Amino acid sequence: MKESQESSIREAWGLCLILGLIMINFPFVHIFNTELLIFGIPELVLYFFIGWPASIVVIWLFVRYSGTDVQTDSKEVEDKSNP
Amino acid sequence: MIPAKTILSMSIISAKTVLLVSFGYFLLLFLVAWYAEKCRKTGTCLLKNSHVYSLSLAVYCTSWTFYGSVGKAATSGLEFLPIYLGPTLIAFTWWFLLRKMVRISKQQNITSIADFLSSRYDRSTALGAIVTLFAVFGITPYIALQLKAISQTLDILSVPLATSGTDLYGYASKLPGNIDTAFLVALLLAIFGMLFGARSLDSSEKHEGLVVAVAFESVIKLIAFLAVGIFVTYGLFDGFIDVFQRFLEQFPERQDLLRLGTEQTPYTKWFTLIILAMMAVMFLPRQFHIMITENIDEQHIKSAMWKFPAYLFLMNLFVLPIALGGLIINGGDTSQADYFVLTLPLSTGHPWLALLVFIGGLSASAGMVMVSSVTIATMILNHLVMPIILKMNIQAQNFSRALINIKRLGILGVILIGYSYFKVIGSSYALVNIGLISFAAATQFGPAVIGGLFWKRANHKAAITGISLGFLLWFYTLLIPAFVRSGWLHSDILQNGLFGIDLFKPLELFGLRGFDIYTHSLFWSMLFNLSAYLTLSFFAQQSKEEQVQAEKFVDVFVEQSPQQVGKLKRISKAPTVMEFVELMSKFIGEKPAQAAIAEYLSHQEIDARGGLSDHEIPNLKSFTERTLAGHVGAAPARIILENYLSARGSEMEDVFDIFGTVTISHADSREQLSVLYEAAQIVSSKENFQKTLDNILELLAQQFKFDLCVIRFLEPESMTLMVKSLVGSSSKHFGQFERNLNMETYIGQAFLSNATTVVNDTDNIDKPISKEHIKRDGITCLAHTPIIIEGDPIGILSAFSKTAKGIFTNEFIALFENLAGQVGIAWRNDQQLQKLLRGREQEREMQIAKEIQKTLLPSNLPDLEHIAIAGLCVPAHQVGGDYYDFIERDNSSYDLIIADVSGHSIGSALIMAETRTFIHARMESIKQPAEMLQALNGYFLKDLDRSDLFVTMFYLQYNPANRRLIYGNAGHNTPLLWKKREQKIVTLDTDGMIFGIKSDITFEQKATDLEAGDILLLYTDGIIEAESKDNVFFGIERLGKLLEECDDLTPQELIDRIMIQGRIFTGMRHFNDDITLVVMKILE
Repeated sequence: MKESQESSIREAWGLCLILGLIMINFPFVHIFNTELLIFGIPELVLYFFIGWPASIVVIWLFVRYSGTDVQTDSKEVEDKSNP
Repeated sequence: MIPAKTILSMSIISAKTVLLVSFGYFLLLFLVAWYAEKCRKTGTCLLKNSHVYSLSLAVYCTSWTFYGSVGKAATSGLEFLPIYLGPTLIAFTWWFLLRKMVRISKQQNITSIADFLSSRYDRSTALGAIVTLFAVFGITPYIALQLKAISQTLDILSVPLATSGTDLYGYASKLPGNIDTAFLVALLLAIFGMLFGARSLDSSEKHEGLVVAVAFESVIKLIAFLAVGIFVTYGLFDGFIDVFQRFLEQFPERQDLLRLGTEQTPYTKWFTLIILAMMAVMFLPRQFHIMITENIDEQHIKSAMWKFPAYLFLMNLFVLPIALGGLIINGGDTSQADYFVLTLPLSTGHPWLALLVFIGGLSASAGMVMVSSVTIATMILNHLVMPIILKMNIQAQNFSRALINIKRLGILGVILIGYSYFKVIGSSYALVNIGLISFAAATQFGPAVIGGLFWKRANHKAAITGISLGFLLWFYTLLIPAFVRSGWLHSDILQNGLFGIDLFKPLELFGLRGFDIYTHSLFWSMLFNLSAYLTLSFFAQQSKEEQVQAEKFVDVFVEQSPQQVGKLKRISKAPTVMEFVELMSKFIGEKPAQAAIAEYLSHQEIDARGGLSDHEIPNLKSFTERTLAGHVGAAPARIILENYLSARGSEMEDVFDIFGTVTISHADSREQLSVLYEAAQIVSSKENFQKTLDNILELLAQQFKFDLCVIRFLEPESMTLMVKSLVGSSSKHFGQFERNLNMETYIGQAFLSNATTVVNDTDNIDKPISKEHIKRDGITCLAHTPIIIEGDPIGILSAFSKTAKGIFTNEFIALFENLAGQVGIAWRNDQQLQKLLRGREQEREMQIAKEIQKTLLPSNLPDLEHIAIAGLCVPAHQVGGDYYDFIERDNSSYDLIIADVSGHSIGSALIMAETRTFIHARMESIKQPAEMLQALNGYFLKDLDRSDLFVTMFYLQYNPANRRLIYGNAGHNTPLLWKKREQKIVTLDTDGMIFGIKSDITFEQKATDLEAGDILLLYTDGIIEAESKDNVFFGIERLGKLLEECDDLTPQELIDRIMIQGRIFTGMRHFNDDITLVVMKILE
């Protein structure tokens, strides 16, 4: 149970890495690579400086989520072994 | 909208103030580090704080990024971003990648990236050395860059800029008394490194002072950068939007700076830089050190996963505004772009802000230099110096002090080399670009590290070849062009390729065109690195030890199953606990060794005698190795232990663990355990082998109601299995006959496949030959299991039942195999006993031979009135080939013989006996020495030829009546004769040859007259060829001198004197060769 939880967390992290790599590389960034100004700031700059903290928030949430999850998991196991 | 202030005048700060503030800051750093160390001693470790860990990771941001990011942004646009986006991306993987590396490093006491790779790959010394060399090569210039940044920024602060756009490199430090500030800073950093980075030799120990100081510096550099960012964005301009708007208005032609896919920053380069940064943040030696070696809690990784990217984000938030603002204020001039962060506050009259920025930059440089120097010094010590020390085999009681001093010297050396780089090549292209070049170097470690973590087949040949090839390509495609651009190499190689071959152009290797230098280099170096790594991993074989190590790395999170634990080893002739401590003390110092062992033993069970049990010793060995590895690296630690154990003749060997391999359910446990226990008792009883086997079978048959149990052993000559023991109702077929080895029978199958074969129901069997016998004897189920010694089967344990079916459950098979293992132990014990008995028998025979040989020599030499005589023969081994004799011939004369048969074997002793017999038998008929030698030669010709032995002899005959001595020689050492009256020594010699070579030789005979007081000394080569410790022979001269000096002694006293002098000379009680001495003195 715990092991599969570990491995699914690992897969989720791997997925994030791949998604991240795609999102900051060609051709994905090409979408934002325009002359357009949003609020007076070039779109590409805005994309990076919003996407970047957003990804940090994702990591933060993920760390919190997976952290608490693993703990409750081990608790459950303990509970089951001592009926 | 606030108009951007125009440049008022460049304000400067006095050099004195800058220096004072800088040294004040260094003092603060020392205090912080000292405080951290103090906290550690009082038990409150600051490293337990996860913020400290996350902040210390920011050692990644050096002055290259602190100042350089803005410069990059102003000249190349968004190109600065990948250096920070890469680490943010790789942080996603930290929970399984970094945590795995941390866990492994803790388990193996790993000290550096070189050590990590070397540990994983067969503890290869070569790999450690290669990685270290490349790190030194790629990183030391980076230290120079940091020193350069400090020196330049100091100049900018304290030297007025005459005109904007002046080349900053042109300024020398113009400080009071021409002090070279960079040198002072380098020295301070070296002292810091030596104090807080090399406190003890144990590199796997944490360095609180160093890490906390680095974390502190990270805070300072962030505050400084945010301060200047806010100042520029909101002080000089009206926020982000204002900066961008004004920039686009003023420089519409430069809007490419805010775009990708441009000529400056093509997408490929963007991608390359992301990859380089991802690898660098993991594998740069200083990052590895801070992230892995200094980690004390895996949970810290979790918080660092978002804190570190957040730090990087904040560091970069104001890069663009500062860069664009700088361009606007400087009218588009980019020549000072690298130092906009400094010049903007200065030029707008805010020197104190500039001073804060300077301190921030100083922090960025100092942190990098401190950590890198400590890391590289550790790598140099462990992977370059230690292997040499071990090779030289220096015999010293305690290395630890010397080693720690070498490490401190290493830190100083690394920083000073960095300083000299800065002095010599300070403004070269190569140095300015070393940031990315070193990133590309660290990237080469990527495949070997990541592959090593997840792929068991990856082996050391693959890693060594991959990394070496990667670095070769890195050197060729990155460094060579850098050298050319710095002007150290002719540009010929860039234009025409190596040796003028077009395909070898460093920037267009094999015709690959159209990419920037980093993409080009990354592609080729990774292609070669990865291909070699993957191919060799597939095809090269791993040693058993490497496999074990690979498993330890890949399966670090996999809990060991009891079966794996059951694979026990023991060490023959194992060292004691104290000996392990002595070994450790030699390298790490006595106190740490004692502390380590005390800690270890506190977790171990100690037996009644106060020692560790046999199977604990291998664990202690691993512990010793790990402890040593923490100080000197994994590869040297392995060599130290292997050398030590092999010098003792100790070996690791497999042990059959009686209970470890059996998993027993609750219901059956008591019965089965009791069987195993009883079997173990039978094996350890003193019964003979046959009885032991019978008892085991008896036990098996009784406990499990088998009708027949058989043990067969392989007869190697006929390759058949012969019955050795049998219990139960024997039948014609089962148990009586030998078995041929083939796969047609179940027993043959069990032996040949080296695995248990079970037939739970004989109604369903597939082997026709077996079927016939099984049916005839009414067997209902059967099992065969091989008896295995060192992995190979030597026999089969079989059990048959005529009533039950399906009794061989998995549990029972485990027990059955266990019993077979115990039979194996009994077999091995018996073999050892037999060997011991044979050895003893041989020894006893030799003792008898020795006694017999002793009786062949004259036991008491006669007490005569005209001569005094004494003799001594000391064989080097139990029997020898030396012989002397003294025979009285019908009262008128005496024969004196000395002979030496080559070798010290039984053969030599037999020839010696033969010689004696011949002489005694032919005494009557042969009267003269020469005749006797002639006869002996003829006699020995055939015998000696066959035995490869030879005999030398000196034969003398003395007639007391006329004091005449006649003699002949058969190749023997020439006797010495002391002529008392003339006070000189003469040697006696005649023509002749050793026995057994030629048939037709004539032995010459000579004569000499003796006088009272003359002494004749006969000897064999044992004494003159006795060797001292300096490989000098005792020699005839020394012997002659002794004879000359001691002419007043009796023959026996003289012999004793010679023996004493011989022993003093060799420094040993025993001689390597037989020694025989005979002395005859003529009396008045």
